[in-house]
Amino acid sequence: MTYLSRTLHALLILFLVVFGGFPIYWMAVTALSTNAELYNTGQVWWPQIGNLPMLLADLADVPLVRWLANTAIVAVGTTLLSLTLGALAGYALSRFRFHGKGVIGFLLFMTQVVPEALILVPLYAMFISLGLMNSLGGLILANVGFSLPVAAFIIKGAIDAVPYEIEEAATIDNCPRFGVLTLIILPIIAPSLAAAAVIAFFAGWNEYLFAATFLMDNTHWPASVGLASFIGQYETPLSAVMGAALIFSLPAVLFFLIIQRKIVAGITSGAVKG
Amino acid sequence: MTDLLLQADAKTPVARSARGGIRWRGMLPYVFIVPPVLYLAVFMFYPLGRQIWLSFTRTRLMNPNRSEFTGLSNYERLFADPEFYMALQVTVVYSALAVILGVTVGMIAALALNRPFPGRAIVRAVLLFGWACPNVAASLVWLWIFNERSGVLNTIVTGLGLDRIAWLTTTEMALPSILLVTVWQVAPFVMLVMLAALQSVPEEVKEAARIDNADSLSVFRAVTLPHVMPTLQLVSLLVAVWSIRRFDIIYLLTGGGPIGSTSTLIVKLRQIAFENYDLGLASAYGVIGLILALTVAVIHALFNRRRQKRSQQ
Repeated sequence: MTYLSRTLHALLILFLVVFGGFPIYWMAVTALSTNAELYNTGQVWWPQIGNLPMLLADLADVPLVRWLANTAIVAVGTTLLSLTLGALAGYALSRFRFHGKGVIGFLLFMTQVVPEALILVPLYAMFISLGLMNSLGGLILANVGFSLPVAAFIIKGAIDAVPYEIEEAATIDNCPRFGVLTLIILPIIAPSLAAAAVIAFFAGWNEYLFAATFLMDNTHWPASVGLASFIGQYETPLSAVMGAALIFSLPAVLFFLIIQRKIVAGITSGAVKG
Repeated sequence: MTDLLLQADAKTPVARSARGGIRWRGMLPYVFIVPPVLYLAVFMFYPLGRQIWLSFTRTRLMNPNRSEFTGLSNYERLFADPEFYMALQVTVVYSALAVILGVTVGMIAALALNRPFPGRAIVRAVLLFGWACPNVAASLVWLWIFNERSGVLNTIVTGLGLDRIAWLTTTEMALPSILLVTVWQVAPFVMLVMLAALQSVPEEVKEAARIDNADSLSVFRAVTLPHVMPTLQLVSLLVAVWSIRRFDIIYLLTGGGPIGSTSTLIVKLRQIAFENYDLGLASAYGVIGLILALTVAVIHALFNRRRQKRSQQ
């Protein structure tokens, strides 16, 4: 590489890092600033760790723990239900040929095209009839519709790679088919299962539209709705808002970085195999 | 009962095929596939069907389970409404630019990261922040970055001796600002996928081209680009569908305003349903949005089929 092209390359990387990383960095910097700095004297450009006690004191006034607990309930419920149903669908799509398989694969793919907002109103009407409004359980039921197909595609792809002979040995030993799936296949595909779990978990963790529509009572709010309620509201110091946003984001960012390749494989395989 | 059924299947003769699984005589496949399909039928396809049905009715949010069939009247109102054409235009422009800008930036990032340099793993991780950050948190920090009086962008702008820019509150700037956030979110995904595709380009072919004295641009055009083209098409179509679907960041950053300049069909759907309580008209907006997304998906499927045919030859 010539000197010039190496310099250009470095500049390009620098630009991308600033563009990609700045908002998260700025969240941290803002969280560790005082109100006076943010609105009057001008924001300091680096995080001031000395302001951490002030941030923690301000955060104590935000019901962040309750919001995060609600978020965790929704995320765990979405994960468990998506994986259970996704494993059944993934196994059937990978191992069997049956009438309607093509249609089912197409319908699973279709769910990824449907905008959340498009089924919002009918779900709203349905949840009123079923008494599921204002309940975290109802929210989980709504979320799973979108994360189940992704889980199914990831699990199908993983099972495709497991040789059938392993199952044959087990079925000859008279192991029921359901036992084959839970005791033999699922442990083998554990890494893919973990990826599907992370995707479903953070789909539930991040979800906003359904939560904002179905949960009226603020004791049920997950963190996404709670944080969004800060928009246009100026009682909570901005530093605390950014601190809460950062705490809410960190788990998602960390886990996404850990399993990035699997996520991409899951999303693209769902799109390719539809 | 099911247990008996499952055990008996061990003796069912099976015809195995190289592709697509095993052909079963019994009910076994349905034992597995029915629960997830039933689930989707109730919580995805029934609501979807009902939404389409609602677009042919007069239904109010106060009483969403009582509708009066009115035929095409919602669509007549829709097609007579200048706000609809505005929303359609915003959706198409927003989605097209999201694809063009998101894919370009993501592709450039992938090419920049496709050669080794010190700290590459860290750079790669940092570039993914926008994709991994939850929508609500992203909206909060970008609202602050765009803040007209004290936000960092205007600090830079005034530092350069220019006038403050109203990033989110003028019709000229709101959509470009939203696109900036969209690119921040979408480009990392494009980068990840394209990086994987670029790493599968056979090194020998590139080497052979270089020995023939081809410069790096022509190697890229003749070898690399054709190899990654199918993947590039795929991510473009994914980004297009996501843009048509996108709600959170638009709603939280501008609420669709000012004067509808960032109101996509989907944002409009939520607004008409929950602010004007007019579920019929809202559903008509949604149906048009769905048709748009489906068109993109069909284009994708056609590309996909053509590619598969070509690779079989």
